[in-house]
Amino acid sequence: MSSVLPERASVTEKSAGRGASAHAGRARPRRRALLTRGSVPYLLIMPAVLGFAIFKAYPIVSSLWISLTTGSGTDRSFAGLANYRRLLNDPLFWTALKNTALILVVQVPLMLCLALLVALALNSAKVWLRPLWRLGVFVPSLTGLVAAGVMFSVILNRDAGLLNWVLSLFGVDRVNWLGSPGWARVGVVLVITWHYTGYNAVMYLAGLQGIPKELYEAAMVDGAGPIRRFFSITLPQLRPILLLTVVLSTIGTLQLFDEPYVLTGGGPDNATLTVTMYLYNNGFKYFDFGYASAIAYALALIVSVLGILQVRLMGERR
Amino acid sequence: MSHRLSRRRLLQLATASAAGLGLTACGTDGSGGGSGADGDKGRITVWSWTTAAEALRGVVPSFERDNPGITVDVQDVGNPAIWDKITVGLASDGKGLADVLHIGVDYLPGYLEKFPDGLTNLSRFGADRYRSEFAQGLWPTVIGKDKAAHALPWEVNPLGLFYRKDYFEKAGVDPADISSWDDLIAAGPKIRAATGAQLLGLDKPGTTPDMDFFQNLMQLQDAFYFDQKGRITLGSKEAVQALTIIKRLNDDGLLADTAGQGTRKRLMSQGKLATSPDPAWAVEYLATKFPDQKGKWRVMQPPAAVPGGGRSVIVNSTYLAVSESSKRRKAAWRFIEHALTKPAEINRMFKSGGVFPALGSAYDDPMFSAPHPYYGGQKVLKPFVDTLSSGSGTTNFTGDYTRALKLASDAQSQVLVKGADPAGALRDAAERLAQQTGRQLAA
Repeated sequence: MSSVLPERASVTEKSAGRGASAHAGRARPRRRALLTRGSVPYLLIMPAVLGFAIFKAYPIVSSLWISLTTGSGTDRSFAGLANYRRLLNDPLFWTALKNTALILVVQVPLMLCLALLVALALNSAKVWLRPLWRLGVFVPSLTGLVAAGVMFSVILNRDAGLLNWVLSLFGVDRVNWLGSPGWARVGVVLVITWHYTGYNAVMYLAGLQGIPKELYEAAMVDGAGPIRRFFSITLPQLRPILLLTVVLSTIGTLQLFDEPYVLTGGGPDNATLTVTMYLYNNGFKYFDFGYASAIAYALALIVSVLGILQVRLMGERR
Repeated sequence: MSHRLSRRRLLQLATASAAGLGLTACGTDGSGGGSGADGDKGRITVWSWTTAAEALRGVVPSFERDNPGITVDVQDVGNPAIWDKITVGLASDGKGLADVLHIGVDYLPGYLEKFPDGLTNLSRFGADRYRSEFAQGLWPTVIGKDKAAHALPWEVNPLGLFYRKDYFEKAGVDPADISSWDDLIAAGPKIRAATGAQLLGLDKPGTTPDMDFFQNLMQLQDAFYFDQKGRITLGSKEAVQALTIIKRLNDDGLLADTAGQGTRKRLMSQGKLATSPDPAWAVEYLATKFPDQKGKWRVMQPPAAVPGGGRSVIVNSTYLAVSESSKRRKAAWRFIEHALTKPAEINRMFKSGGVFPALGSAYDDPMFSAPHPYYGGQKVLKPFVDTLSSGSGTTNFTGDYTRALKLASDAQSQVLVKGADPAGALRDAAERLAQQTGRQLAA
């Protein structure tokens, strides 16, 4: 970049030239150039910043204000922290939070371990038809979430579903995937895992391929076995990617909406109701935008705290 | 670990926080100041969904011929997407709303309550003169806080019990002997033994709120989630009776589970359900979806929820309203008036899309007493018209219907999936509804 742009852009020099003819013999005040080595990066990120300000920052601030008000539709009055107090005493909010946390604690580690195994397999030279496998693993993440939900509601159907039919071949009784609270949660975890494992596996694969071969060669010379090599070289080298996937998956799971919305409607008896579903119900079904905004802020706070914690715990130590 | 944040670390933290904050952009602002106008010329847009939108398009040519200078664009925005679109539009002071909105009874009272300035006062255009023209019990739903009408009824869905005549015959059950759900529950095991079919299906875990049946059983007793004063009656003895009927059906193995996409349709096509309590639109729905079952189905008025009780229920109804932010409110009103108050037009829509008219004078058309070949020549629309002419009470949906629906759906799932006691489940639901809405519990 520095080789392309001079310290003072040519535009300014031209104007200085014009100025020189107009104010011959007078010392000119030095005008600051628009394009300098320091300003170009800011100009380049300006479109993104403007987009964020208009389409994200404004709604975020606006939503904070709404969360402090009550009222119907356009007739809002300031209510202070009433919505937040209501949130703390709302059993359904805690149910939704508990469900979301449960899915998070079970599903994210499960999915990421699976993704890592898949990535290791795809990275192995012993696997035939590697490009085909990679494609197969990645394709689910290209499926629309709603389409995936609808598809799984057919697969998980108790009486006519594909999964129960397959299980019946092994003599397993029909499972009530959508009709019992425990199995419905398993069903939701199944859909998310199916949808996102490939996506994470591809990220890990990119990370694996970035690890220098020399490290493995040196370790093998030192007599390190495959397990030792995995824990001493592969995992530490993958740490930045692991951190990224953990943070992104955590955020994604905390914002889980589409799959349970389509698959279970949050049922049975709120066993799969997630925080964002509860937010949606309050905003778009009960028209209680103040309360919905308070839920949004509570969730944002949780996501931020978890994100920061993860970065602190897993980030590089110096 | 160093306590001084590097720039990179700061960026990471900021990213994590921003990702979290991105969530909060879900809120919707309800302030601003859009204002409409009473224009009566130009192009008006109409939002509806699927078959109803198709039916509405059918009246456009005659309307445009009678009203030169107005053109109509009917848009099928889909259901349930239409509710989010209307809600967001109303919450942002009418920005982006169509001129004419097709609204269901489950949403209309909520809109009138939460957005009192969202839908145009149609009384000032003379809507009140049609007050007694529509099926009994519908008019109070269109009245807003200002005591004016804000919509006109279009579709009304009286309930009928569709039943497999061949199954009843095989099991030796005479439909004429079925006058209450007690009778039907008693006949259920015979029908199941003779045909293998269960009586009816419900989405037991509530993957979609399947509460029409529960609501109908309450309505058969002139009860609902709320009384006419808006007090909560979700825990009333009528509600408990309704949920107890559902529990008995389930305990006796007469209730199939229809959870999951397409399950209900599959059970129907396989002949696994002997009855189907459905609104009037199902007359054409069954005929088109299950043509191979032609001649096997018949319709009767629904059995009473308590022996000797009422047998008329209006399941639901839909309305056309004009958005207050419309620049052509008068033109929009004219379209509604043309489509919904002229028997010829509303029956044209009924023939094309099965949208059962709410306009009383529409029933004089011979088709309402014509034999239907799919139903073995039965005058199948007659039970529905009888239901409407015998009159059913007004159901007070209130602005909190969707909350009540959710809590009732949870209670029904608790009973069907976890074996909970109906009275206890409904009492808890009623208390929770009171806590959420600030409404009083009826004694």
